Amino acid sequence: MASTFLFRNAGKTIPLVAVIVLAVMLISGIVAMIDSIPLSIRTIYRYSQQMVGITPRGDPAQTPIIRDRIEKEAPVPLERVMVCRATGAQVRSIVGKWPFVVLGLAREDMTYYLDRMGSRGINGRLPETGKAEALISEPVARNLGLRKGSLLLGPVQDGAYSPEEVRVVGIADTDEWLMFTPIEYQRAHHFPPIDVLLVFAENLPDQAKLDNWAVKAFKGERAQVFVYQELERDTQDMFKILYKILNVVIATLVLVITLMMAMLMNIYQSQRLPEYGLLQALGYTRRQLLSRAFGETLVVVVGGWVLGLLVAYSLLLVVRAQLMTPQAFALDPLDRMAFIYTIPIPVAILAAGALTVWSRFRRFDPVSVVERRLV
Amino acid sequence: MIEARGAALLYHDHGREVYACRDIGLRVSEGEFLGILGPSGSGKSSLLYMLSGLKTPTSGQVLVDGIDLASLGDEARSRLRLERFGFVFQHPHLLGYLTALENVVLGASGSGDRLVEAENRLSRLGLGDKMHRLPHELSGGERQRVCVARALMGSPEAIFADEPTAALDHANGHAVVDMLRQERGGGALVMVTHDPSMLDGADRIVTLVDGCLGEAAVAARPGIEPGTC
Ligand SMILES: Nc1ncnc2c1ncn2[C@@H]1O[C@H](COP(=O)(O)OP(=O)(O)OP(=O)(O)O)[C@@H](O)[C@H]1O
Ligand SMILES: [Mg+2]
Repeated sequence: MASTFLFRNAGKTIPLVAVIVLAVMLISGIVAMIDSIPLSIRTIYRYSQQMVGITPRGDPAQTPIIRDRIEKEAPVPLERVMVCRATGAQVRSIVGKWPFVVLGLAREDMTYYLDRMGSRGINGRLPETGKAEALISEPVARNLGLRKGSLLLGPVQDGAYSPEEVRVVGIADTDEWLMFTPIEYQRAHHFPPIDVLLVFAENLPDQAKLDNWAVKAFKGERAQVFVYQELERDTQDMFKILYKILNVVIATLVLVITLMMAMLMNIYQSQRLPEYGLLQALGYTRRQLLSRAFGETLVVVVGGWVLGLLVAYSLLLVVRAQLMTPQAFALDPLDRMAFIYTIPIPVAILAAGALTVWSRFRRFDPVSVVERRLV
Repeated sequence: MIEARGAALLYHDHGREVYACRDIGLRVSEGEFLGILGPSGSGKSSLLYMLSGLKTPTSGQVLVDGIDLASLGDEARSRLRLERFGFVFQHPHLLGYLTALENVVLGASGSGDRLVEAENRLSRLGLGDKMHRLPHELSGGERQRVCVARALMGSPEAIFADEPTAALDHANGHAVVDMLRQERGGGALVMVTHDPSMLDGADRIVTLVDGCLGEAAVAARPGIEPGTC
């Protein structure tokens, strides 16, 4: 019964539902897009989940000492410890360029690393020992628009300097982001002359234990530890303020939308007063009519909300396919935050609608309707 | 069955007190056709609203089967109206988005054979081929007949009709009154009008003047006595 009116008065129902759909779409779209930034950070640097990186501080000779200590004291079995060099390149994000590390690795370490990153194969080949050649992964290639033969590092490359032109010779088929050159090439041409340690545990849970241990063990020592959790923490800190601003913006938005909807609901329910008056005169109780009005509002609001989520999801799928994926930007169309942020809309509108109906019913005389004093 | 005892309805009009009805003593017996006659503004509608529980007297009582309506809550009074009373108002109020049939179904509570009853009622009122039309696709007379069918739903113990013929021409008006009379089964019919000719079949007629009641026997027609205070 509640839906009969809605269906037979599509001209009134559709605009109401449409406003809610748009509001939900707007908010969940904004939140999902903003969330895509930390998500991209996590995706791009996810490779570091598989290892802990440790560099000596102030004294390159520390590396073997640190290595020794790790191999003796590590709380979990180690699968591999490798020495690498590192230089910088950049990747693109929707908020500008971010630094990314180009690892200089020995050939067999490259093979191990790729395996560990779940590589399904290489389009091309591994860089030759000592040569000015690079291997990148598929997302990096997409992000920077690189193909086999493209320049990764070079004398005039912005933010990706190398004295020689380093070209891509292979693209690894993995979802992780990575850039390799031969370690011998970096030793010969790059600064600083520091050997970095990459330490791999046997599996991810062990890796997390190892990371924690390393952070504590080398606190205050002449070593700097790079762990994935720190990245997570930094990212969260970085976005804390942004989310505070976002909260204010969305609260305002919800308020505006709710006020507007409350006004619409008010007009809408006012138009229904003659109907409620007649039914009340015929003998329908105030409670029946209230629950009927509330039921209708519920259908409109929940319907609009669900529809809004569906539309937002489809739209984000399109955005992801058309704009994000081609550049390897991350976007989650099922973002939990985006979903949570839309909840105030139906709740607020439902409350406003219920309040409107209730306050109109409080002082309402059905006789005024059947007498036609009220039109 | 329904009894008003010293019932009065007082309105406040910009600080001034206006009695729409005063000191009404009136019984509506089972199955009777009671006519209420009076000029415009004499308080006929007000009396009908008090008798049917749509308005609570400001003083005095209205009893239904010995129970004071004022002692009942909104819920119980509503139930009484829906289950035991039927209403026909001056204007054919129907829900515009429901068909004639669906509007008639609204006249009774509960589920069951409401639909069958509504179809029968409409057919008997000559609307068998129009019951799936929306109100705006019906003439004024047809709409009022739909209202009559709605009032008859559930065979109420009393039907209250407030100038049901006012918006209709003479012939249509008579047709509607006849339908109410003939189709009401054992129910009482309380009808307000300012047109004495509509009360031809009435068992009893009372008159109202300035909110006060006078009674006139049907036999005494055409010299119906005006009410006195
Ligand atoms: N809500 C109200 N506020 C103030 N006065 C009212 C109100 N309703 C009715 N009245 C007054 O009460 C008196 C009786 O009104 P009522 O509607 O009962 O008359 P009526 O006999 O039905 O008239 P009509 O034949 O025109 O329908 C009138 O004088 C009217 O002005
Ligand atoms: Mg009247």
